[in-house]
Amino acid sequence: MSIWESLKVAMSSIWGHKIRSILTMLGIIIGVGAVIIIVAIGEGAKNQIADDMFSTDENEIQLYYEQIFLEDDTEMMWVEEPEITDEDLAVLREVPGVQSVLGINQGWGMMVHNEEQSDMTITGVDEGYFAAKNIEMLEGRPFLARDNDSMNRVILIDSVTREKFFSDGEDVIGEIVEVSDNPYKVVGVYKSTIPEELLQYDDFASGEMLMPRALVSMMFGNREIESVSVIAESPEIVSETGQLTADALTEQIAPEDGMYISNDFTQYEEELNSYLTIITLFIGSIAGISLLVGGIGVMNIMLVSVTERTREIGLRKALGATRGRILLQFLIESVTLTSLGGLIGIGFAVAATFVASQLLPFEATISPLVVLIGFCFSAFIGIIFGILPANKASKLSPIEALRYE
Amino acid sequence: MKLSDIKKTYGTGGLMVPVLHGIDLEIEEGEFIAIMGPSGSGKSTLMNIIGFLDTPSSGNYELNSEQTGRVKQRELARLRNEHIGFVFQQFFLMPRLNALKNVESPLIYAGVPKRERRERARQMLEKVGLSDRMTHLPNELSGGQKQRVAIARALVNHPSIILADEPTGALDSKTSEQIMKLLVELNEEGRTVIIVTHEEEVASYTNRIITLHDGLITDDRRNLS
Repeated sequence: MSIWESLKVAMSSIWGHKIRSILTMLGIIIGVGAVIIIVAIGEGAKNQIADDMFSTDENEIQLYYEQIFLEDDTEMMWVEEPEITDEDLAVLREVPGVQSVLGINQGWGMMVHNEEQSDMTITGVDEGYFAAKNIEMLEGRPFLARDNDSMNRVILIDSVTREKFFSDGEDVIGEIVEVSDNPYKVVGVYKSTIPEELLQYDDFASGEMLMPRALVSMMFGNREIESVSVIAESPEIVSETGQLTADALTEQIAPEDGMYISNDFTQYEEELNSYLTIITLFIGSIAGISLLVGGIGVMNIMLVSVTERTREIGLRKALGATRGRILLQFLIESVTLTSLGGLIGIGFAVAATFVASQLLPFEATISPLVVLIGFCFSAFIGIIFGILPANKASKLSPIEALRYE
Repeated sequence: MKLSDIKKTYGTGGLMVPVLHGIDLEIEEGEFIAIMGPSGSGKSTLMNIIGFLDTPSSGNYELNSEQTGRVKQRELARLRNEHIGFVFQQFFLMPRLNALKNVESPLIYAGVPKRERRERARQMLEKVGLSDRMTHLPNELSGGQKQRVAIARALVNHPSIILADEPTGALDSKTSEQIMKLLVELNEEGRTVIIVTHEEEVASYTNRIITLHDGLITDDRRNLS
């Protein structure tokens, strides 16, 4: 008897006991459904967190100085960070995997112009910044090497600032604006890099501006290079490159009380993802217990079915069915039962996930792999819990079975 | 078909119950035989051994010069499928399958392709006079019709022996007569038919009556009527 034949016999037997079959499948339906829904919500949360927190400048990494406190220090003392120079940055550019290295510092200033005023972030950069960060110039020119060298009093404003302080047709290039009581000449306008959703907050509403790094250092009393930003050749090697450059910087500067570290976001992301995975697995396996219970239900019903069909089994044997065929027939029946339950469970899970996505602040995502695993697992349960009843059926003696009332 | 010194003992160890004490029996192809005897005489056990539902404890069973004494379960299933057509007192049709599908079922285990199965089952149902009942379920058929479906099923695999266990036991006398006439007809076409019965009337249709008593053949006579 072919598998197809057995499958038809199995289907007709399941169809012949509709209510019993549905009740038996219920455990599998709930188990598979619950596991898929939970994994889908877990995946959705993971994707959302990755989008929210880790999606910008994926090949960029910051280097920070971290002071090391010795255990026997009775007094914790904050030590001044060592100075980083352009020479140090030049060394970092030689590290393999590095595309570019940027020295950056930052200040805050009150910009006043055309009777508007606003507190704004000022980022001190050098001429390499524009290519490395893909800054798009809308008007005028970016900074040149000479702007830093001779501390030209020039600034660049972004598109948001231009809109706030100037009217549309107004010529901006060459305008003199006042920032914290000092005059600067606007030499260019660049496309704002502030994410759209942040523009509603006061800190970002007026845009940002760029100044030559040396100028920020002089005007605002900062150290010339406050932070080092490393851009790796590709996102795949960003953690590794960050580690290498941080070590290289530590070696180059050889600070007494600390070391440089990279803010490896991918590491946080991995950590957070692994927590989420653990939670998902934990809740998922609780749901999976239902599959076990369901499997035992299937075994129970299959045993009942074997007893009920003792005479049929005897007859089939008298007609020439071998042990193997009887075993296969009952095994196929239990696998069909659980697989059908699995399919219904998957259907429920897809519907429930769709509804959940409307209610949750993020979209729950069903991966085809989880569906496939869910289906295979339900079939697998059919095999595991079908073996005992099928074996019992196959071992029946035809004489005894035919005499059974 | 030749049985020599067939013994069958049930149970093991201290509780040995001997049922057959040594049966010697030779049956030619085309014979029509009744096996008779009171209950407990061992006639059912003998039938089970002839039908390969059971194996003898000792002795030889030769069918078409094929030794079948000690064979595996798997081999027994094949022998049943190829050589024996069973007809039971309680018909034993599969309730969810229609007449045609019931008749087809031995061919499934013989590995006959679907189209041929359908055709052979149809022919057999025509032969037993049920060509207008092919798609009926067993519970839509009368007792006599059910038994004829069962006979068609027994015939479909062209077996060496038709083995009928009290084939008329659940039928009224008029239907019994029809069924017996059908069996006579099948025998006249050259098939070996063995009936196990305790009814003299049923036995009277056959050509040879074998009587068992306490596990031994006590009488083996030709029936010339």
